[in-house]
Amino acid sequence: MKIRYVLGAAALSVALSAPVAAQTFNWRAHEGQTINLMLNNHPWSQAMRDLAAEFTAKTGIKTQIEIFNEEQFRARLTTLMQGKSADLDVYMSLTSREGAIFEKAGWYADLAPLMADKAMTMPDFNYEDFSASIRAASTCGTKIVALPINQEGPLFYWRKDIFEKCKVAEPKAIEDLPDTAKALKACDPSMGVWAARGLRGAIPYSLTAFIHNQGGSYATPDGKPGLSQPNTLKGLAMYASLLKDYGPPGALNHTFTQVIELLGQGRIAMTHESSNEFANIMRFPGRAQDLGVKVMPPGRDTKISKPVAIGWTVTMSPNSQRKPASWYFLQWATSREIQTKLIANGVAPPRASVFEGQEFNKWIAEMPIRKAWADSLIEIGKTGTGVYQSPTDRVPEARDIIGTAVQEIVQGASPADAARKADEALAKLQ
Amino acid sequence: MRTSSKNVLAGYHWMAAPAMVFTIGMIGFPIGYAIWLSLSNVPPGGDPVFSGLENYARLVKDPEFWNAFKLTVSLYAMSLSMQLILGTWLGLLLGRSRAAQGLTRVILVSPFMLPPVVVGMMAIVILDPSFGIANWLLAQIGLPPGLWLSDPKTVLFTFAVLDTWQWTPFVALIVMGGYLSLPAEVFEAVELDGATSFQRFWHVTLPLLGPTLVTAAVLRSVDILRFFDVIYLTTQGGPGNSSTTLNILAYRRGFEFFDFGYASAIMITLSAVVFGTVLIFSKLRAAVAW
Repeated sequence: MKIRYVLGAAALSVALSAPVAAQTFNWRAHEGQTINLMLNNHPWSQAMRDLAAEFTAKTGIKTQIEIFNEEQFRARLTTLMQGKSADLDVYMSLTSREGAIFEKAGWYADLAPLMADKAMTMPDFNYEDFSASIRAASTCGTKIVALPINQEGPLFYWRKDIFEKCKVAEPKAIEDLPDTAKALKACDPSMGVWAARGLRGAIPYSLTAFIHNQGGSYATPDGKPGLSQPNTLKGLAMYASLLKDYGPPGALNHTFTQVIELLGQGRIAMTHESSNEFANIMRFPGRAQDLGVKVMPPGRDTKISKPVAIGWTVTMSPNSQRKPASWYFLQWATSREIQTKLIANGVAPPRASVFEGQEFNKWIAEMPIRKAWADSLIEIGKTGTGVYQSPTDRVPEARDIIGTAVQEIVQGASPADAARKADEALAKLQ
Repeated sequence: MRTSSKNVLAGYHWMAAPAMVFTIGMIGFPIGYAIWLSLSNVPPGGDPVFSGLENYARLVKDPEFWNAFKLTVSLYAMSLSMQLILGTWLGLLLGRSRAAQGLTRVILVSPFMLPPVVVGMMAIVILDPSFGIANWLLAQIGLPPGLWLSDPKTVLFTFAVLDTWQWTPFVALIVMGGYLSLPAEVFEAVELDGATSFQRFWHVTLPLLGPTLVTAAVLRSVDILRFFDVIYLTTQGGPGNSSTTLNILAYRRGFEFFDFGYASAIMITLSAVVFGTVLIFSKLRAAVAW
């Protein structure tokens, strides 16, 4: 009886394993199909447009890529998804921003079954190569909603030559920033000292370190909106006063494009801007030599360093009629091979094997500033957060309200009044 | 035995059916659907669920809506008045001047041929206080710099000026056409009576141009009330809410905050404002006809 049972089990396991063995992954299994991709204007997307021909050569799958600026990208994406359009196959998503809304709306396909299918997924894909925190940011329960394509966060960039000329020490604590700005302004009144995002929806990204590092938080311990907390007020006030007293004229309409332009052109001495823009900044003459980059200094007493750390992802529409071909693109685009190629475009790889790999280390060793940039990314990967608003599913709206509070302070409102007003509005989103 | 022409035509009314169906399909359906959405709660990814007048009740109590309404009306009043005044002046100048013929006229009227996106990009390049050439030019003549689109106090007026720059030539063309079609004998008679230039303009030209000006006002009203692209490209409704007009508010609520039903209610309200304005001008046109 026992022998018969064992033999039966063995036969069953052979029967089950036979088809699995037969299912081998074939890159050209979906040859001849065309997939439609919609991407946000981003260094990754620009690189992808150039690399797409390699994907077609490898798989025989053609791609039609549309790249839009972020606002237009979101508007078009919303229209297509709400209309349940089958035309869109692959799109980029910032899961830390819209993940909750999109998942609730059913706008993400589940990638987990495709990933588990050996016939559909390349043998060396190795999902575990993405760190647990990066994977968690694009996972809802057991559902994998997207694949990470980069890691980023705001970093503190400063002009070492100007600091040296003015005999001003680089800030060691976030509280040093106002005095540093004051000293730089006194050194050369004609010089631009500071720039940062002033467009309301864009503000929280660079504001967050000002709040967290000084011991503040967007939420109270019981999960209510907490902009009015004393330490949070400190962060709001410092961000707004730097923008108001030392920022460029017209800062309230500025987002990363203007800030990077000012930094690149050598018109400001320091800023807190995205690590993602590193490659763009380096294209300006002289910046690779005279710029320093590091994580925003921690609070002097709190010792806290907690900036934003997020990553864009690429995902698939659940309405896609070409899911297998789209999945081929997703795994190819996030593979070790392609992420290694993207290093030269300044796209910080989310795969540990690439980040710690020979190619990446060789690339960062070529310039001291690249090393500083990579070290900063490692640090924010450990200390940063993807949550930078009070608890709510309506994240874009919440960030807009926080940005409006900062704008009001810049325009003369008291931090306490602006924060109270914002807290009231934020409470309605909970 | 002759059949009256009216009866003959009546027999062929059915031939207008394709045009009617097309019109209803292309115009009626989108408007009807927008009204339906405005009466519904529309969750992201979900189907509309009828909610009656809930969105409109919310709109009445929403200070953001009233702020946007006020800004829309202010922008409309500033832009339309500037365009009618300057357009009339430029149109009469073009109509009377022998110098402003051919190429000169084309150059003068070229701004309104530019797509709004181009105007928005030009505004960014010219008016940005940090990068723009406008402040540099002011500095050259010893004037203080302006914040233009970055100051809540000046942003709306700056948009009115931008729209006026672009669309005054359009009004001027309409006025010029109207002026050139006026009966010459009236002006000859006025001249024989010894009227001054101002009297001629105020008592003769302007009243005669009344219907033309109303037509120009109707065309511009529809556009100004829907003014969107340049604002969205440059300030996205800011600083704060100082340039968040109804169009911008609806766009943000719909596409950025996924509040589709409420966004539709705002747009239907704006459409009603546009429609009402056109109706008022239609009545006015009848009053100024000669």
